Amino acid sequence: MDYIKSFIDYLSAPTISFTLLTVAFPFIFPPTDWFDKKNKEWGIYRLWSNKGGFWIFLLTTLFFIIGYYDPYFNKTMTKPDNIPIILMIYSMLLAVWWGMKKSYINDERIDRGEKPEEWHDPDDKVLVWPDLVYIELIALILFMVFLIVWSILIAAPLEEPANPAATPNPSKAPWYFLGLQEMLVYFDPWIAGIIFPMFIIVGMMAIPYMDINKKGDGYYSFKERRVGYFIFMYGWVVLWLFLIVIGTIFRGPNWNFYGPFEWWDPHKLEPLTNVNLSEYVWIKLLNTGLPTNILIRESVGFFVTIGYLFIMPLLLAKTKLKHIFEHYGPVRYATMMLFGLTMFALPVKMYLRWIFNLKYIIAIPEWFFNI
Amino acid sequence: MLNDERYWNIKLLNKWFAISSIIFMGSFIWMFIDDNDDEFKVYQRAFRKMEVEIAESKLLSEIDKIKDERLLYDEKLINAQKEFDLKRSELDHYILQLDTAKAKFYKANMNFLGFKAIVDAEKYNYETQMLKNKNSNKTLNLEKTYFNQVKELDELKLIKENKESLVAEIEGNIKSLSSEKVEAQDELNKVLRDVNIADRKLKKLDRNNMSFANKIGDIVRDLPILDFLAPYYKVEQVVLPEIKYNVNFAHVPEVDRCTSCHLGITNPEYIDAPQPFTTHPNLDLYLSSSSPHAYEQFGCTSCHAGRGRGTSFTSATHTPSSEEQKKEWEEKYHWHEMHHWLKPMLPTKYTEASCLKCHNNETYIKGAEKLTKGLQLISQNGCNNCHHIETHKPERKIGPDLRRLDEKLSKEWTGKWIRDPQKFRHNTKMPAFFGQSNNSDSVSVQRNETEIATIVEYLFPNGDKNKSKNQKYLGDKDKGEKLFNTIGCKGCHIIEQNPENIPQVVDQEILFRQHGPNLIGIGTKTNPDWLYKWLKNPSDYWHDTAMPSLRLSDQEAKDLTAYLFELKNNEFEKEKEVELDKIELDNITFSWLKKAFPVEESKQKMESMDHRDKVNYVADKSIRHYGCYTCHNIDGYEQDKPIGAELTYEGSKSIHKLDFGFKHDLDHKNYVWFYEKLKDPRQFDHGKKLAYEDKARMPNFYFNDDEIEAIVTALLGFNDDKIGPSLLAETHIPDQQIYKGNKLIIQNNCQGCHVIDGVGGHIVENYSSSEFAPPNLNTEGAKVQPDWLFKWFHDPYTIRPNLQVRMPSFNMSDEEWNSIIKAFQHRDNDLLDFASDLTYDISTTHFKAGIKLHELGACNNCHFYGKEFPVQDPQTWAPNLALTKERLQPEWVIEWLRDPQAIMPGTKMPAPYLPDSDILSLPGSITDWGKFLVEIDGDQELMLEGLRDYLYSIEGKIDISSEIKDYFKKNGYNFDEEDEEDEEDEDW
Repeated sequence: MDYIKSFIDYLSAPTISFTLLTVAFPFIFPPTDWFDKKNKEWGIYRLWSNKGGFWIFLLTTLFFIIGYYDPYFNKTMTKPDNIPIILMIYSMLLAVWWGMKKSYINDERIDRGEKPEEWHDPDDKVLVWPDLVYIELIALILFMVFLIVWSILIAAPLEEPANPAATPNPSKAPWYFLGLQEMLVYFDPWIAGIIFPMFIIVGMMAIPYMDINKKGDGYYSFKERRVGYFIFMYGWVVLWLFLIVIGTIFRGPNWNFYGPFEWWDPHKLEPLTNVNLSEYVWIKLLNTGLPTNILIRESVGFFVTIGYLFIMPLLLAKTKLKHIFEHYGPVRYATMMLFGLTMFALPVKMYLRWIFNLKYIIAIPEWFFNI
Repeated sequence: MLNDERYWNIKLLNKWFAISSIIFMGSFIWMFIDDNDDEFKVYQRAFRKMEVEIAESKLLSEIDKIKDERLLYDEKLINAQKEFDLKRSELDHYILQLDTAKAKFYKANMNFLGFKAIVDAEKYNYETQMLKNKNSNKTLNLEKTYFNQVKELDELKLIKENKESLVAEIEGNIKSLSSEKVEAQDELNKVLRDVNIADRKLKKLDRNNMSFANKIGDIVRDLPILDFLAPYYKVEQVVLPEIKYNVNFAHVPEVDRCTSCHLGITNPEYIDAPQPFTTHPNLDLYLSSSSPHAYEQFGCTSCHAGRGRGTSFTSATHTPSSEEQKKEWEEKYHWHEMHHWLKPMLPTKYTEASCLKCHNNETYIKGAEKLTKGLQLISQNGCNNCHHIETHKPERKIGPDLRRLDEKLSKEWTGKWIRDPQKFRHNTKMPAFFGQSNNSDSVSVQRNETEIATIVEYLFPNGDKNKSKNQKYLGDKDKGEKLFNTIGCKGCHIIEQNPENIPQVVDQEILFRQHGPNLIGIGTKTNPDWLYKWLKNPSDYWHDTAMPSLRLSDQEAKDLTAYLFELKNNEFEKEKEVELDKIELDNITFSWLKKAFPVEESKQKMESMDHRDKVNYVADKSIRHYGCYTCHNIDGYEQDKPIGAELTYEGSKSIHKLDFGFKHDLDHKNYVWFYEKLKDPRQFDHGKKLAYEDKARMPNFYFNDDEIEAIVTALLGFNDDKIGPSLLAETHIPDQQIYKGNKLIIQNNCQGCHVIDGVGGHIVENYSSSEFAPPNLNTEGAKVQPDWLFKWFHDPYTIRPNLQVRMPSFNMSDEEWNSIIKAFQHRDNDLLDFASDLTYDISTTHFKAGIKLHELGACNNCHFYGKEFPVQDPQTWAPNLALTKERLQPEWVIEWLRDPQAIMPGTKMPAPYLPDSDILSLPGSITDWGKFLVEIDGDQELMLEGLRDYLYSIEGKIDISSEIKDYFKKNGYNFDEEDEEDEEDEDW
């Protein structure tokens, strides 16, 4: 058991677990034919059968049961603040599994030339009142009951009375903000705390306007919108939920990484020597000092950033993604690229940090401007 | 609406709606109950039940108490009522009269008051007109009207008063008619007073005893939402503006809500009630309004610490006193630790720490023996030499002066001693720096040897002095031993080879006993030359020494030297000598250089040093590293700061700042850390890879558990709570010098020889009887004249002629002596510095009666009269009466003569016999008692005054030390040993 635990501890180091998830995701939610082929070949699609679902839930539950009897994991998981995390994991798995299961059934039906399961005769209409609103009202009341009972049984996840003179170590945000807090490790506060949240909200609001694929409206389907599905799943599960899980379970004293079954030793040290891109270029590569002119000093950073965000989409529009550009038109294309690239900037920056100890691409602390 | 248009069955939905609404309602009510059901309310309800029970039983017992008496008064009342009923018609008549009279009075009174308002207004008009123009017509007119109106008002007043007296008269009549009945009722009420009080209380408490309306009110007042008005169950709190605790540099007053659950804490009736209702165990000292620590002023957390605002068991940060209690609490109250609260409740064993907040200047805090002991240990062991403590600064460097060390010690002995002081003297106060848990490995040991060797070299700049085995300072060692046992050495010193005989539980007396070093092995340590000179005058060698001079003669000093020089420690002599290793010396030099300079520069510097330089360099670094100079005077380190962490606010230090290192099994509590640090100061280095210079270096004092607990208590007391001046103990002390005096009394170990405040004086065990031991200093402040005492301290002479033990000459400043005198005076509430001499008239009757009493008492049997010796032998000798007028306070002498036993329990001084008037009126009394006594006729006060006055008139030599010395030189001093205490004598 200890062996399994230390193996899980090893796997859950963010560098490994994040990479595993990133690599595995296209196979689980294949966005292209090649991935789809592999998916079929390895039988991953069987996850979305009843049997697959059973195993998903069994393994997850087993993990939590083992965790419950582990003294350290128990401490983390049984905090009232972390109970939503468990609920979140289960409800996420359930929602994804349920959706995918239905999608696969529908996909087969569509392949066979049948209508999806949810298909109804357009003339067969249902009244909003009372059929819909009444049920919504009842659901609302029952959900309120659930919330009230929850709050009675498990006291609000307030922590102990604080001591204003000493902040606890680690100091964590509420669970739903832990993803953002995790981003702060890699980005300057103004990006991780302001730009990203804003982009997330605005970006999600923009989805209906950018998504002009009419297929899959009103019924579950994976095949007909697999790229969108993949991007959303990656953004939601890996870049948001998984970061919350990391923040909750894997971050301990001094914001160090700890495996789920590892003791939070406050003395644990991790080497942290982060270097800016400008230092890489001028000092390591060119063997000179940093230029005194800030703009010259950071010119490489600006070039990279502008290149990534603006020039690359332009080039792609002319070459590889020409069909998409043509299909969506320039405005939609530009918007999609802006949001998409910003989203992928997160894993990119994470890997740059892990592999090159890169601190900032553009580092101008003089102006409080760091990317 | 057509049913087929619906996708769902509406009836089913209705049902679901109903069900979910009911569940919602249920959860809503549940929420209210849950929200309203605070932990403290549960306790308050339980307490109310208990209160009702107590009130009921009290009511019953009160009723029972007056059962018989009550019958009597009941009967009386019934009779009175009967009488009263007979007079009913008369009464009715008066009542009717009263009604009309009252109406008439009312009318007259209204007339008067109404007209008075008019007159007042007129008065104002007249006055303002006068101011404008005194002589105009208008003024005259106004004057006329005003005075007419005043006249009229007087008439109205007369009428009113007439009516008023009429009413009073009728009322008087009515009262006299019913007076008997009222009286009887009053009498009955008086008997029923306690019953009524109990009954009223019960009616307030117990719903079953309430009227219906009250019962409803009692329920409604505690209903949710409505309970903001005047609930029965509510948070009880006290705000303590004078007691402030530190929140990030802001000082916030304490707010204590403890009594929300500890409901019976100030009420003695709940002494046997279970927690949390039980009474405080010491209401005389705490909480009650008559105690010095009233609840309204001090609350609870000022002493117990904890989160006063907490209203649940856990959030109040209760702290378990033991592991078992912790388990019990976890089960019973779901207790868990509150990690962030800075001041968790103190475990009971450390509660005394809080006394220090207000009693911060005192040396002996009555009732806080553990804290007192801790403070004493801190200053005796020189903790405050290395660790700055603002409120407890050291008076001197606690360790011996090392500037003339070569006169006293040899290099060989010094090296061995530094290596392991406990090997030479098992209970020495010199702590061990070496051979500890973090420097016992062979590498460290090797380094330490060389370090010690360099320190020794530094301390002996001129090498070993010729060790004089000089016989000329060695006298008779048997005489020396006798002297050692009797002259007073044992007040501060012990000679105890066996560590097992040192008690593990330390009390005040044991600290007194071990004030000076245990003198084992002193012959191995030093030489007769030094010893002799030291005994003769200790402060010559070490100016700040606590060792006083006993004014030894040359011969006495030689005898003592001979005796002490015999005390050897052969095992220690056989210990391996400390050796300096040249390679190691280089290593240490380089490792220190590297700390201060870049590597290359260090190398250069090292090459430029010769052996002597390196030795001095390493010695200097070592003395600084280990902080030798903080406890010892060493040349060249006079200006250096102490090396330890400041402890002024140690008790408030955040737990995060205490390095537990890799000791994960310890409870993360500051007192646990302190305890462990004192137990093994180096243990937190365990498992760390440290450069030698970075290792922990606090030395090991080998304190036992009891001592550690006391010191931890004191450390917890050093905190940064701010207490308002009105609560500080020093505010209530008339003179700050008193504290200083008390400190000096402890520092100079006065209680090694004297009993002060009922404590101390263990030296008595060396004498056959307490009368041959130093006196009990009870009432000393009221007893002696301060100016005499001051002079005597500077130059002590014999007072008790048959004592071998000597009052030493202490090397103290005038200010210090004054403080000591103040401290004694304060004990007896007598802070007068100067007083007039007693004036007496030798021609008065009572003076002459005094002479007679003195004769009859045969005072000269025991007392000296100047140079005139007492009639009896030395074992009963008592102080020189010629000294009385100089030394004693007249008021005290009266009290002393009245009852010596009351002042000095066990004294041999008899109270003089004072004849009473019955005896004096017997025939022949003039011949027996003399005419003056008979004249006084048994007036005790006058007789005592006469005797006192006579004593003050006795003339003669005051300092008779030399006469007494001569006597004992001639006749020897051997009565003490054989003598059994069979004579009546003195002890004052």
